[in-house]
Amino acid sequence: MRFSPLPPGTFPFVVITITLLLAWVVWGSFNYPEALWAPGNLSRYHADISACSACHQPFQGATAYKCVSCHDNKHFAARSKPNVSEFHQKTIHEGQPCKGCHTEHRGALAQITIGAMANPHGEFVFRATGTNSCTACHDFSTDFERSHLLDNSIVRHLMEEGEGMHRLGKMARCLACHTDGRLEIEEKDEDDE
Amino acid sequence: MTTITKRFLILISCVAAAIGVALLIEVLFSFQSGRQFGHTQTGHVVGWVGFAVILTVFVYSAKKRYGGQAGWPKGWFLVHQVAGIAGPALIVIHAGPHLHALVPTLALLAMGVVTVSGLIGVAVHRRAISLLDTQRKELISQGLSHEDIEDRLFDLASDEEAFRIWQIIHVPIVMIFLVLVITHVLGALYLGGF
Repeated sequence: MRFSPLPPGTFPFVVITITLLLAWVVWGSFNYPEALWAPGNLSRYHADISACSACHQPFQGATAYKCVSCHDNKHFAARSKPNVSEFHQKTIHEGQPCKGCHTEHRGALAQITIGAMANPHGEFVFRATGTNSCTACHDFSTDFERSHLLDNSIVRHLMEEGEGMHRLGKMARCLACHTDGRLEIEEKDEDDE
Repeated sequence: MTTITKRFLILISCVAAAIGVALLIEVLFSFQSGRQFGHTQTGHVVGWVGFAVILTVFVYSAKKRYGGQAGWPKGWFLVHQVAGIAGPALIVIHAGPHLHALVPTLALLAMGVVTVSGLIGVAVHRRAISLLDTQRKELISQGLSHEDIEDRLFDLASDEEAFRIWQIIHVPIVMIFLVLVITHVLGALYLGGF
């Protein structure tokens, strides 16, 4: 079968479409870079970052150099447990890539540490406590796999609010009682039980 | 149910099954690695291989246009069909069900349109050739002259015109797809590194 060329108007149409498409990509890259390029939403830890260049270096990706521009030794010393701080300072000193353990763009509620413990409470617990990190209530300093509940004002307030129901071993699955993610608990009629 | 409807349903089922299997593979690999498969080293390799396989489909197009008197490149048409399915399947494994960034999402959409329109084009082409062959044999057996046969076949050739109309959709979307893929690759290399 002999090849038949396309109708005369096809090529100009394609050129115009591609030109418009590229113009849109360039415009969008400056105005809405996350919508055009990000493989997922940033986590709640980095949600305030709006420029890709805050973490990404051209043709190198998210580099440790960019990470430590915020997460430097002082940052770890001031905000982390001693062993966590020591671990990260050593990692930075050795020039290890942060991407070996951390990831991003997996959604606002996702963990950014690969292989980190799953959050059994779900997003609800952050809403209920007004926090944005597991370490607000848990201490991972002795073991990254198991946590210890802290004795601080957030935890104490949470315990008081539960009126006895919020106690160790009984509060992992918040949504079992807080149906549909509501803070209020519906009182069950005794006749129904 | 007509033969065309049957073939169309089989085609749609095969496409759906291929997409399903590719997505399942991506999900399994993602669970294994703990991160989106497309963001792993292996995921990148699968993306590059898929892209390379897709590029081989253009050998047929080039041979068809610039092949001179060598005739229709039947062998390369087979490569065109196989690579036109295998390449996109690899890309679906590379991409998975993660549709967030607009540029790769549009590239994926354009790839889907090109692949499905390609499959429809093959079906239309085969149907048209088959009809013309059958009709030609019948007319020859009736003892008609070559000119008369060609006249009679004119109406049936309208099916081949349908093929031309299909080509007007297939070819421009291929060009748009290529631009989107190159844009995606450049963007991914710029932001994600090598």
